[in-house]
Amino acid sequence: MGVFSIEIVREYLPFFLKGAMVTVGASLAGILIGSILGLFMGIGRISKSWWIRYPFIWYINAFRGTPLFVQILLIHFGLIPLMMESVNPLVSLIVTLSLNATAYIAEIFRAGIQSIDRGQMEAARSLGMTHVQAMRHVILPQAFKRMIPPLGNEFIVLLKDSSLGAIIAAPELMYWGRAAQGQYYRVWEPYLTVAIIYLILTLSLTYLLNYIERRLDTA
Amino acid sequence: MIKVESLKKSFGDLEVLKEISVEIKPQEVVVVIGPSGSGKSTFLRCLNLLESITGGKVMIKDQDLTAKGTNINQVRTNVGMVFQQFNLFPHKTVLQNIMLSPMKVRKWQRKQAEEKGLELLRKVGLYEKAHVYPDSLSGGQKQRVAIARALAMEPEIMLFDEPTSALDPEMVGEVLEVMKDLAKEGMTMVVVTHEMGFAKEVGDRVLFMDGGYIVEENAPIALFENPQQERTKAFLSKVL
Repeated sequence: MGVFSIEIVREYLPFFLKGAMVTVGASLAGILIGSILGLFMGIGRISKSWWIRYPFIWYINAFRGTPLFVQILLIHFGLIPLMMESVNPLVSLIVTLSLNATAYIAEIFRAGIQSIDRGQMEAARSLGMTHVQAMRHVILPQAFKRMIPPLGNEFIVLLKDSSLGAIIAAPELMYWGRAAQGQYYRVWEPYLTVAIIYLILTLSLTYLLNYIERRLDTA
Repeated sequence: MIKVESLKKSFGDLEVLKEISVEIKPQEVVVVIGPSGSGKSTFLRCLNLLESITGGKVMIKDQDLTAKGTNINQVRTNVGMVFQQFNLFPHKTVLQNIMLSPMKVRKWQRKQAEEKGLELLRKVGLYEKAHVYPDSLSGGQKQRVAIARALAMEPEIMLFDEPTSALDPEMVGEVLEVMKDLAKEGMTMVVVTHEMGFAKEVGDRVLFMDGGYIVEENAPIALFENPQQERTKAFLSKVL
């Protein structure tokens, strides 16, 4: 293997940093879109009507029960070409991360909502609020606070899993790691650097989430 | 004011209310007593449809709650409810707890809701607690806030579901005082409670429930001192 060549790291660092930005951007898009869709799906998932509930349950089963790797390939080479003329791997990655996160976040929302004492809903309804008003003003604000730790967890998982985008050549961090590896046939320089950058990203995120949690706790 | 006809309620195979018929007049204070599992809380919860009903009819001011055109949210604004576990909203201050529903349901302006809230807090003796969170209140204070919150909708009927059962003994009195004041002001009240003293002092009528039926009903003194049914006698001998 020879000694660790800092030259390779130096040459590729701008690409790694660019890739890290794409990684953060794609994960952020995934968590945002996933949160919006996941909220509706999480509420629909506990609907009293089976014809609303079941499609959501099966969506969640499908996306939690199959590997993200397989989902990326199916969406990039199957689904997206059916819907769009030009195929962009970054778009495919964001779509996959969003759809995947939706399933997990739906479960986080469901658990958060169901963890709120049912007396809260009853009190709100007894005051004349509609189900939607009670959800919006009473249940969700309380549930959201409890959802922050698992949401943060999901965010971290998503950020790491976005590395699977390399397989469809989405120009995220791992893609550049593989590019460097391919050019120099070296293992340690590209992959260790990439690993450290991922670690910095996830640790920063952990720190940020802990901070938010503490702030909300005192409110 | 309230008319219940052959009300039935089952949870799956379990028939909790078998056949309940009762009529409650405006300004009447009706106290419901009975052993646990007798269906008294379920009965109360059917009066504002927190429990869906299996059979029969509940009418509030001649409005059939389960009829097609009935807007249940509309009816509930006129029927306040106080719960054993208070059910205050922990993420809102005391005053916000009270203001929420008038603003969202009645569409009152903030100022109007705030004035109403402060007025009610003064009434239940908690004016100085307006801006604290429910967490920092004692049980008795929480329940008085819960009463104020229900009153903010200006209901004509108030339902109380064992309002003092979760309280330390020394806090029962302050909650009962507020309820007595309400009764004096002419509020129509249905109270599920184990407080026989309250029933005697404030109640116009006592219903004794057991096994999903109203076994006996009478004026408090008559029911407590001269019960007619064996089951009523057996129950009263244990609690009085």
